[in-house]
Amino acid sequence: MKLLKEALVLAAGALLTLGASPHSLRAQNLDSADLIKPPADSWPLYHGDYSGKRHSPLTQITPRNVSNLSLAWAFQTDQTASIKASPLLVDGVLYFTVPDNIWAVDARSGHMLWHFHHPTTQGDHIGQRGVAMYKGWLYFTSPDGHLISLNAKDGSVRWNKIIADVNKGYWTTMAPLVVANHVIIGVSGDFDNLTGYLRALDPDTGETQWQWNSTPPAGTPNTTTGGMTWMTGTYDPKLNLVYWGTGNPTPVLNGSTRPGDNLYTCSIVAINPDNGKLAWGFSVSPHDTHDWDAVETPMLVDGTFHGQPRKMLMQASRNGYFFVLDRTNGKSLLTVPYGPTNWTKGIDKDGHPIPNPDKEPAPDGRLIAPDEGGLTNYRAPSFDPKNGLFIVDAHPSYSIYFAKPADGNYGWAGADYGLWGKGVIEAIDYQTGKIRWSHEVGRGGSGAGVLTTESGVTFTGDAYGNFLALDTSDGKTLWHAGTGASIQSSPISYELDGRQYVLTGSGGVLFAWALPPASTHSPQKVARTP
Amino acid sequence: MKRFQYVALLTAAFGVFSLQLQEKPVYAASALQTEHAPGSQPTDKLGAEAYANHCAICHGDQRQGNLPAFPPLIGIKRQMTDEQITTLVHTGRGRMPGFPTLPDPELTAILHFLGTTPGVASAAQAAGGSAAKSQTSGLAQAGGALFRQNCAFCHGRDAMGGETGPDLTRSKLVHADVNGDKISEVVREGRPQKGMPAFNLSSSELQSIVAFIHGQVASANSMQGKRRGVDVADLQTGNVEAGKAYFNGPGGCAKCHSATGDLAGIASRYQGLQLEERMLDPRDVKSGVIVTLPSGKQLKGIVAYHDEFTLGMRDGDGVYHSWPVNRIKYTIDSPVDAHVKQFSQYTDADIHNLMAYLQTLR
Repeated sequence: MKLLKEALVLAAGALLTLGASPHSLRAQNLDSADLIKPPADSWPLYHGDYSGKRHSPLTQITPRNVSNLSLAWAFQTDQTASIKASPLLVDGVLYFTVPDNIWAVDARSGHMLWHFHHPTTQGDHIGQRGVAMYKGWLYFTSPDGHLISLNAKDGSVRWNKIIADVNKGYWTTMAPLVVANHVIIGVSGDFDNLTGYLRALDPDTGETQWQWNSTPPAGTPNTTTGGMTWMTGTYDPKLNLVYWGTGNPTPVLNGSTRPGDNLYTCSIVAINPDNGKLAWGFSVSPHDTHDWDAVETPMLVDGTFHGQPRKMLMQASRNGYFFVLDRTNGKSLLTVPYGPTNWTKGIDKDGHPIPNPDKEPAPDGRLIAPDEGGLTNYRAPSFDPKNGLFIVDAHPSYSIYFAKPADGNYGWAGADYGLWGKGVIEAIDYQTGKIRWSHEVGRGGSGAGVLTTESGVTFTGDAYGNFLALDTSDGKTLWHAGTGASIQSSPISYELDGRQYVLTGSGGVLFAWALPPASTHSPQKVARTP
Repeated sequence: MKRFQYVALLTAAFGVFSLQLQEKPVYAASALQTEHAPGSQPTDKLGAEAYANHCAICHGDQRQGNLPAFPPLIGIKRQMTDEQITTLVHTGRGRMPGFPTLPDPELTAILHFLGTTPGVASAAQAAGGSAAKSQTSGLAQAGGALFRQNCAFCHGRDAMGGETGPDLTRSKLVHADVNGDKISEVVREGRPQKGMPAFNLSSSELQSIVAFIHGQVASANSMQGKRRGVDVADLQTGNVEAGKAYFNGPGGCAKCHSATGDLAGIASRYQGLQLEERMLDPRDVKSGVIVTLPSGKQLKGIVAYHDEFTLGMRDGDGVYHSWPVNRIKYTIDSPVDAHVKQFSQYTDADIHNLMAYLQTLR
């Protein structure tokens, strides 16, 4: 009954806001300039900024004082779903999600401002990765393929648009990416032979502006379907290109009906956000038969590569290879494995791995490294410019893949079984691909992403639910805290009232860590403490 | 169908049995009427009205519920006693409001009504149990939605296997399951070692998922050809002699195992994919540990927990001990490590040959 009342209040709120002018939203007016240069007291995008580096400029927490880190607050969602979202922080308010739910929480105290609950019965509830925000409005994808725009002040719904057909087998989990006057969304759905796509919608009206399809329409002979776009991409404002990873082809384990490289599945693509036109595409796993979506963060780094200044794009991909591309043209600079892989015959002259046909799934099984979850997955990596390190939560692993004619050529079309895996935080030298240091995080692997800070601290987690602070220069543990559940999200950091917070989700709880208030008020004193 | 009738009988019997345990006659009366069709009692009309007035807005006109928020009440009397339902109605739970002032006659009528079969005339039930069928398929439908939300990502939308999770329609546990007695436990407790999380689902939600899975077993059995999964017959491509040579030679298996010792009869205990998975990674094998305390005292046991910071050990008496790792010296003997090292050495032919050899050890 209470729920009904709440729904009525929400509906009434939605009606009222329909008539309100956008100028009344100044208090929470996140504009394009803030998105291009996020202030230190914000985390306004899925990756914190457009580059996907997840490198915080904050320096209050250092390798020397991080051992004093303590709990600032914890927020209980009271849900069984794990938090897989990356929270947004705008104007002192955090917004984060699990499927069908959004919370707005005071970033200083952890108390709840509002909770949006939108139960859906259709679509895969595998995870929800967070909201996007623009000018006081939130954008949220639901498991049944809707994009919902809400008022960030109170969670009231402004509009609700269907962006994917759940009845065909699509679902949505991703945090949209706002670029200028575009809300860009991607879709999930590889249990059916469906075309993946990116779509841009008008932030105010939700009208479709353009759509880019990863693959030809389903049913086109000798072509692939798939190429889902289920992770948030990155953006280079100067080149005005959005970079996105695409998922595996379908049928998933049986490649016989889809000869060739299967463009643009398992690829990194560069797209003009104003018209949806493809600038270039790079195939990360040509003719994939192992479910290795290439949707991991296409990270944008400006720096020198072998002595030459470069605009680079880096990805530690699910297929076990670390890629460095020139993001102006999509040409390869480096392709190198960052853990055990056994499915290629080498790398071609353009930097693409050459799949070994003998390692395609077979009736009597093929031993494959890495496993289907891949050498890494949606958990975010981080880039530390000072040390030139790309730091990723890796998952060395082995599995067996089967497929036989009786499995057909629709959807999964085979079976695979993970055998063994472990978690290793790896610091990759992006110039060579050599692993500078590695830090084991346990059997089975960790679901935690990585955050580096300008002061030289790397935050992540292990397979046992310990939140970890490592020294970025050598990977040694500086501090840890048991969180009591598996960590499935990537840490973020922000500064409010002169105090630096680090946030991490574990199970259904969001933890905020900070130095004790006394030490943050007089940083000099901390520096003198032995 | 047969099974359902049997269960209905059993629950009816249970209802009578619980009647004898009831103290308050008002509840006993309704317990006696469990599983009766509507239309036969004067309370039916009152019950249906009271249900429509108080419950239907959330639990649905046909008691079908609206998952995941509102559980179906079909078959609720098989999961809860009248006393439990009464308490729940009076006090509420979670987002369900309490109805403390609901008059007793109305409550009694609702309790009775919940024991009836929704939307079906008693004649239909007499005519051959179609009521039971529609109730089951309603449950399976609700379960299908829940399955797609919670289970489909790993087990496939049709329960026939998907990313990481096995085909449930070929699962021995599912085949042995009767009305959720085995499946429920796995869902509730998870299988952490195999990567399956525990799910906190209500009994009615679980019951609907179980109904869905059993329905899928039936439809999988009627499918010809396109079955996913691995059959024992698929794993017969190796060469026994080559496998034996690998076992005793480059595979290094003979360093720890013996065909006439620990592996004697292994192929009778495990078959097909299960045998192959155990061969490649026997994941339930424990590691031994010897701990030397600062005093010099030594303890021996099995590793119960081990991360970067803490070692937990179970000693010979089953007692658990733990230490911060920097306070002790310890040596772990992990026999599985040899299997892990071998992953990078195998060719696919080695695995198939080794499988062929192991399958001769009956």
